[in-house]
Amino acid sequence: MEQIVFGIGITALTGALATVAGAAEDTESNIGSQGDPNSQVQLAPQMGFLHRIFNKAVAGEPPAYGLWCCLGAGLAWAFMAMQFNAVLAIVLGSVLAVFVQGVYATTAYLGRTASLSKFGQPVYVDILKSMTTVTMAHAFIAIFATVSLCQLINGALGHPFPLPLLGLVWGIALGAAGSATGNPYYGKERQYQNQKFGAGVPISASGNIVRYAEAGERNSIDNGWFTAKIGGSASGICFGLIVFLELWRTILFDQVGAGWGSIAIGILLILIFTVVDRYIEVWARKNYGPYTEAKEASS
Amino acid sequence: MTAVAAKPAAGAAMNPTAMGVGVILVLILLGICWFVSPAVGLMALIGIIIGGVLIGFGVHFVPVGGAPAAMGQAPGIATGVAMLAAGGGLAGLFGGAWAAASGQDPIVVIITGGVGGGLMMAITCMMVNFVYVFGMGIPAASGKVARDPITGDSQAEYKSQGTEGHGLPFVSFVGGVTGGIFAGAGGTLIYLELLNLYEGALPTLMQLKPEQVVPIAVSMAGMFAVGMFLVNAVLTAYNITGTIEGPHDPKFKRWPRAIVASAVASALCGLAAILIVLPLGPF
Repeated sequence: MEQIVFGIGITALTGALATVAGAAEDTESNIGSQGDPNSQVQLAPQMGFLHRIFNKAVAGEPPAYGLWCCLGAGLAWAFMAMQFNAVLAIVLGSVLAVFVQGVYATTAYLGRTASLSKFGQPVYVDILKSMTTVTMAHAFIAIFATVSLCQLINGALGHPFPLPLLGLVWGIALGAAGSATGNPYYGKERQYQNQKFGAGVPISASGNIVRYAEAGERNSIDNGWFTAKIGGSASGICFGLIVFLELWRTILFDQVGAGWGSIAIGILLILIFTVVDRYIEVWARKNYGPYTEAKEASS
Repeated sequence: MTAVAAKPAAGAAMNPTAMGVGVILVLILLGICWFVSPAVGLMALIGIIIGGVLIGFGVHFVPVGGAPAAMGQAPGIATGVAMLAAGGGLAGLFGGAWAAASGQDPIVVIITGGVGGGLMMAITCMMVNFVYVFGMGIPAASGKVARDPITGDSQAEYKSQGTEGHGLPFVSFVGGVTGGIFAGAGGTLIYLELLNLYEGALPTLMQLKPEQVVPIAVSMAGMFAVGMFLVNAVLTAYNITGTIEGPHDPKFKRWPRAIVASAVASALCGLAAILIVLPLGPF
């Protein structure tokens, strides 16, 4: 019984860490402009819209976070093997991984922006100086929280995978959840704030991203501030739910019915999310209504 | 023939010669494995090929909209095909590996992996629709079909002007969960086959006690499973070429090509993963 209560406590803690990691990951990727919406940041100067948005699509978010979390976890594991305290080891591992992220961010911004020089896009050194540290700070939170939850899964809950492999697996899952949930909010809602609310961006408007803020030109810290409110928190809830429910069903129901218990609970959870998704879809159709008459749309 | 003169590739067109060559390659690789290790190695390789094929097939179900989806210009999830499938499949592998460590039946382990992948995809797909609807005020609409094949909901009038659709219609949600289940089960099957092989072969090879090799076997099997997962997911992403809405998308019909390609790639990677622990007697 004590073992189960201990397991549930650790599960709750990992869920909370995952929520923080998801929110920080999405905000980092929006400030750094990583992932699919960065296609518009890269496209804008080619369409004649010069801007002061950071531009660092190092890779897709999942492999990028797979690398950084695996690196952080691997280094933390090495420090722990050198008899370092676990908390100190995770902090040091995450700091070193963040330096790699910073190097990638710097070279990506310089390389990508320099490739746009023929369209007149300047490399802003002040942007490089002020944004890179902010993305690194958010990346540190995301990597630290992910490596910590991996350490809890490995050390306290007894998962067989070694820490670096868990870092890779959950880093990729973190990037997948964060980019899937957070990208549309940054890509459509923030970059195309000048387009109609409640509709997708017409393909003809591609590249015409919003470049001006309340005062002066918009930069990526403004984007991080905006997207942290919904995109970031939704990404956090998404990754938090994934980690929490995956651990919860295993800890509580793995020994029920020789493993079939956790399978049954997993299927039940999938069905619940299916019903919730269908409710959201129908709610939107009823409350927002169609854009055009059915006849007109089909003709 | 230049690229300009070439006919545009029809989505579902199959090249029988290439498929035949693929099947022959698989047979050759299986033959090599049979020659080196007729019992344990061959069974492991067959399991790995089945796992790779499951991943390759499953990735076709995952609705991925890529960059256009991030601007609400196309339906699907706004990230890369291989990346999203890897996220779901690896979450499944995580659960499967845990079940394997607690000594569950192999069938239970594989199904646990599948359900783990499906659960990750269900949560992600639900949150995608949540952000579209409550964050951006955009309803889901498919650009490829007039009516949702499962719910029968009409789609065209819910597509905003100048876009190909947006969000995840119900059929895409179901596709995402199905893809996660196949990918998670496939990744776990590969892991399980390699784990059994390594736990059997490493004690003799390294002259250690069986319990001492467990961490090494788990790490090696895990790394190879993640690697082979990415090989199959990326291969399928090339077959899909960019974006796919799910099982109702015409591009879904291309899956037989990916099955053959995944089988060849898994056989080659699996052979390498098997050969590193088998003493090659004749050589």
